Amino acid sequence: MPPRPKSKDRRPRKDKPCPICSQGIEYIDYKDLALLKPFLNERAKIKARRTSGACAKCQVQLAAAVKNAREMALIPYTTR
Amino acid sequence: MRRYEIMLLITDTIEEDAATAVFEKAKKILADQGGELLDEAWWGRRKLAYEVLKRDHGFYGILDFHASTEVVTELERQLKISDDVVRFKTVRPEVRTRSNA
Repeated sequence: MPPRPKSKDRRPRKDKPCPICSQGIEYIDYKDLALLKPFLNERAKIKARRTSGACAKCQVQLAAAVKNAREMALIPYTTR
Repeated sequence: MRRYEIMLLITDTIEEDAATAVFEKAKKILADQGGELLDEAWWGRRKLAYEVLKRDHGFYGILDFHASTEVVTELERQLKISDDVVRFKTVRPEVRTRSNA
């Protein structure tokens, strides 16, 4: 394998701020479906942290909230 | 005394009046036990995300209150007995992550 050409304009990528922390939300409510929806993909699966951009703390709370909402039939477990 | 929040999912095999009666009954149990109701919400009839007990709609109600552990245990016991309550979920809103897996 030839060495990858070095890109001249490769600069360190800035981390995107967590979409939840930056909104100033400290408790993720499982009833707030508008909040949870953007973190589900079209199959109603929970988006991975690298996709959702949520920080570790938020992602954990988010996953728990989604699971609570699923149990109460507010969000599907899966579609199709 | 801790703050709790219980969401009730009530069957839609009964009329809305009967469903609110079930909700009122839960409130009464709470009051009798000495729970302090902070807030309540009645979402009314909603479509469920998936079928539960062959029904695809249900009534949702939420109770937000201060109570001791025993009160919640008793309320949950009675909700479990009730045939009209399909599901319920108790959460402690201040506690960030859920304690049970």
